[in-house]
Order: sequence, then C-alpha cells, then structure tokens
Amino acid sequence: MAKANAGKMPAIQAQRLFLSGNEALAHGAWEAGLAVAAAYPGTPSTEILETLATYSEVDVQWSVNEKVAYEVAYGAAVGGVRSLFACKHVGLNVAMDPLMTSAYAGVEAGFVVVVCDDPGMHSSQNEQDTRWVGIYAKLPVLEPSSPSEARQMVAEALAISEKFDTPVIIHMTTRVSHTKEDVAVGPRVPVESKPLRIDAAKYVMTPANARRRHDFIEKRLEKLRAASEKSKFNKVELKDTSLGFITGGISYLYLKETYPDASFLKLGFLYPFCDEKISEFAGQVKKLVVVEELDPFIEDHVKQLGIRKAKFRHPSFRQGELGPAVLEDAVSGQAKDETPSLPSRPPRLCAGCPHWASFSVLKKLGVFVAGDIGCYTLASMPPTSSLHTCICMGAGVTLQEGLRRAHPGEKIVGVIGDSTFVHSGVTGLINAVYNKSKGIVLILDNSTTAMTGGQQHPATGLTIRNEPTKQLDLAALCRACGVDNVDVIDPCGNIAQLEQLVQERLKADTLSVIIAKHPCKLIKR
Amino acid sequence: MKKQKQYNVTFGGIGGQGIIKASELLGWAALYEGFQVKKSEMHGMSQRGGSVESHVRFGKRVYSPLIGPGEADFLLCFHADEHARLKGFLRPGGVDLLDYLKQVEAMVENPKTVNTALVGVLSVLVPISEASWMRAIETVFPEKIREINKAVFAKARALVKE
Repeated sequence: MAKANAGKMPAIQAQRLFLSGNEALAHGAWEAGLAVAAAYPGTPSTEILETLATYSEVDVQWSVNEKVAYEVAYGAAVGGVRSLFACKHVGLNVAMDPLMTSAYAGVEAGFVVVVCDDPGMHSSQNEQDTRWVGIYAKLPVLEPSSPSEARQMVAEALAISEKFDTPVIIHMTTRVSHTKEDVAVGPRVPVESKPLRIDAAKYVMTPANARRRHDFIEKRLEKLRAASEKSKFNKVELKDTSLGFITGGISYLYLKETYPDASFLKLGFLYPFCDEKISEFAGQVKKLVVVEELDPFIEDHVKQLGIRKAKFRHPSFRQGELGPAVLEDAVSGQAKDETPSLPSRPPRLCAGCPHWASFSVLKKLGVFVAGDIGCYTLASMPPTSSLHTCICMGAGVTLQEGLRRAHPGEKIVGVIGDSTFVHSGVTGLINAVYNKSKGIVLILDNSTTAMTGGQQHPATGLTIRNEPTKQLDLAALCRACGVDNVDVIDPCGNIAQLEQLVQERLKADTLSVIIAKHPCKLIKR
Repeated sequence: MKKQKQYNVTFGGIGGQGIIKASELLGWAALYEGFQVKKSEMHGMSQRGGSVESHVRFGKRVYSPLIGPGEADFLLCFHADEHARLKGFLRPGGVDLLDYLKQVEAMVENPKTVNTALVGVLSVLVPISEASWMRAIETVFPEKIREINKAVFAKARALVKE
C-alpha cells in the first residue's frame, strides 16, 4: 500500500521498486511531469492519489466527489498542465457528465482518466465494464496488464492526450491495481506549463461550437484508430501458430503463464481497435481464441470484423474474475467450473465500531433502513441484519424519501456516512426539505472515509496531506438546508438516549437529522 | 536445495494477522535477491476480520500474479480455520508450514510478530540470502518496530536449523 513507500519513492531514482499497479501508475505519472491530480477514494483506485500525495511536485486533492474531482483535474489540463483523475468504476458514473463533454472540448495539456474496475466485486456494488465508455464517449482506452505497464502507459496516455487533443482513459482492474511487482522506475522529467489561453470555440460547448467539435472528435477517432494500428502496446508475439490468443489486461498474464509457446496479439491500446492487426493476426494462426474478463468487448468487435474462425469464452465468463483455476475452461469454451470451495470468512464491523451502537437501536425499533455505501453497509449482514437497501452513494437520503412517499406512515430511516453525506447526501437533503418530505436521516459520523482505509474529507478538517483546512460543520450545514431538527449524539454509551431520540423523531411530522458522532476505531491519532 | 524455475508461496489467515505484511516482506526480499516477483491479494476487507489470502511468486521469469490450485510450493497459514480452504493450493510435495505455526506462536513474546516469525521459518527454505532478507526488513518495518522484528526473524530461522 502507499503508506509502505511513503516519502521514499521520489528519493530513489532509476532503480527497481516493489510497487502495486496503483503505485506504479502514480510513479509513472509523476515521472511524466504530472502537475495536478484529484479523486474521491474508492477501492481499488484509492492508492493512486495516496501515492501521488507523497510527491511534493504534484498538487493533489481528495475532492468531495468524482464529478468535482474530474472537473478540477480537467480544468488544470485546460489550463495547460498535465493532470490526472482517478476513480473506481462506479465513481465514473458520478463523473460521466463532465467526461462526455470534455471528450468534445479536448485539452491544452495531457489529461488521463484512470478507472479501476472490480471484476468479481471484491468491494463494489456492481460489476460494470468500463471499456464500453471508450465507444460511448469516443475516447481512447489503454489497458495495462501489470504495474510496469501501468507506469509506461500513463506516460504514453499523457502524450496521446496532447497529440490528439483528447482525454485518455486508462482501464485498470482490481487485480492489476493491487498486484505488486518489481518495477524499474526513473526520475521526474519536468514539463513546462502552458500559458492560459482563451479559445471559446473550443471550450464553450454551446450547440454551434459543440457541432464543430463533434465533427472534430469523429475525425479524431479515425486518427486514433491509425495510432492504435502502430502502437507498440498492441503487440504481436508470433511463436507456435497452431494456437493464437487475442487478449488484454490481466488475462494476458494468466495465458502467458499457462500457454508460454502460443502466439499472442496483446491489446494494450485497446480502443479504438487495431482492425488491421487483428485481421492479420487472425490469418497467421490456426486456432484463434479471444480471452478477456467480464463483458464480450473484444469478442463483439472480432465478430463485427467477420473473423469466422475465432472462438470465444462461454457466457458464464461474463461474470467474475478470470484466474488460473478457470483458465482452461475459458480457452476451451466450456462453462466456468464453479465447484464451490469452502466458504471464506466474511468481513464484519470491527470490534468497538460505533456503528454497532447505532444499528442496535435501529434493529430494536424494527425500522426499514435505507442504506448507503460505506462500512455501515456491513450492517446488512447478521447479526445486525438491519440495513435494507444499498444502491449508490447518497441514496441513503433519497431512497428514504422515495420509500416514505410510497409508505407515508411507516417507520423508515435513511442512514449515510459523514464522507458519503458530503459526497452526495446533502443534495438529497436539500431536495427533501424543498419537497416537504418528513422523516429521519441518520448521519453515521465516524470522522473519516473508513471503508477505503481512512481518508480525510471536508468534515475532518484535514487535507489529503493531513494539513489543517477549514472544517465543514455537518450540523450547521443540515440546519442551513432547512431541516426541522438537527441533533448530535455520541451513540457509544448513549444507546438508550439514541433510541429515545429516534422514537420521538419517528412520531413527529418533521424532517430530522440525527448525527451519531463517534470516531472510527481505526483512525490513527 | 533443488533449484526451481519459479517459487510459489500462498499466505492466508484472517484480517489483522499481518498477512499482507508477511507477503510484503517476501516480495521485497525476492526483489533484492534479483528475482522477478509478483504478489497479489485483495486487501479491501482485510481490516474487518474477513479471510485474507496473498500470493507471492518469484523466479527468473514470472507472468501470472496468482497461484493456481495445486501449484504452491509453500503454504503459510496463520489461522487454523482457514487451513482447510487453503491447503488445495499446495502442490504434491509442497511444504505446509502449519506445523511451525504453533512453534512460532509459543516462541514469540508479542503475538503481533507471529507473521515475521513464520516468514523467518520460510526464509531458510527458499533461495534468498540473509542479506536480502535483512534489507527487506529494513524496507518494510518502520524504525520503531524494526529491531524487535529482526530479533524474532533470527530466532525463527534457528528453529528450522535445529
């Protein structure tokens, strides 16, 4: 993790370090003259910013959410310095609005969008495959297989961004982000920042300007297609031509391990596809198999190219991670052998976690709980089993409102964490006030972003580098939104009082916020 | 010791046992010894008591970061409950360090150093020099706990030599 290497990476130059994919990507970006980086924490992407925060040359921030982070980082690229935005796959959903139109406007200096997918859903609420965003947004997508490649590709992505006037997506997965390997690293090569330049036709996306830019990006896509054909990251390895694989990402390494003598077309400059290389490779091998993780992204394109000899994975491989145990099934076209192994031990709320106290009250009162994303989502599992929805960040507030509109008289409570409330809960709260909704929102304030490892946020009063900053007052914010009752209570040691308060507020025809405030036991002091 | 092309080591246990630290130690030691090395695990839930599993592979050339079933040369399991699930990783003839777990648990004064001790046992069984291990300990442990870990590591090495 980032902390293990904190502080020593910039000093050690031109040598080998033991780095995760996220750390290597951060190091590569730093080497390539990165000036600004922004993100909101999210497994498996978090360590990218944590590592960048150890380099004094980079202006780094935890932003309040992914849309804000994207815009800050993109603004820096429009301003003429190299910048980076990082998120997990579902985080990109929050940033899709700026992404789609920044794809039109382009950049002044290099801008990379690093998106870490989570095949197998190790710590996510869905398994969406970000590679499709390349097609949807008409943006290039690079896909590293290893930490070393992540380091190389981020420099290439910044160069592509500048050459083609485009944001560039780097698609990572949990396995690439969290694998560590020996990585050869180099020194930082500073890049001069460009002067502020006014170009309204390029950066003001009114319809007339946007129509011209749409034409530009269609042409840009064709130029990127040509670059993809020539890219060293789309690598043909001809060995035994009786078996050839078209693959990318982590799948390449699993295949190389098991089929070292086979031929490969490894797609690293994944989108736009290098159609000529794909067709040529298909002609050079006898048996052709496409192996990838999750959706049939490469598969669909190979089918579009009309390559009839190509074989594909069984549809069962559209779910979950690939790995050595199921690789042969993927190659042979068999269904994934999912012989159940012995169950692994599930995670749970830590001993002494303040959420135990809050949820003991909710369980006792038998309320329907609209939940959110955070440690407290673990309260959906036994022994508490008292969190009943989890869809996305902020929905603890808004689903609560919707549920009450369906069942006005019933006992319904929304819960949300402190970091999550700042991320996207406050907009839902303003909505509830404006639309005269009643009910209770319980902010489980453990004074950190706990689930991702304890990152700072506006209400902790500290920055990503633990420097003091203005602290957001959650109670004052809720009052300013127009909430009828705002109470702050420490749930630990005050369970009876919390229960009484929740009961009172449930009976009242008002909108109430209760802030259950007690710091996470894992926060280091 | 017979030279192998690659060495596969599976670590496992439950959150809080220092499993990721243990595999980190092996990773750096293998790197300092001049091997190509890969390590993979899921650490999102490790602080919350869930199962933790970490794979380390090193050798002249290593591609996959994951060890397949029946491919591990060594298994370092830190919790008896997890052993049944993890033993399938061992290859026939692979070395299970479970027998050493009780010994190192009895040996250490601070239970937080069991991870270092079991890696100390492993250190004698893999082709990595003591110097590389010492460099790895310097890298992985902060100064405050470096000496205690060095001492435990050395003591555990002696356990195997006896």
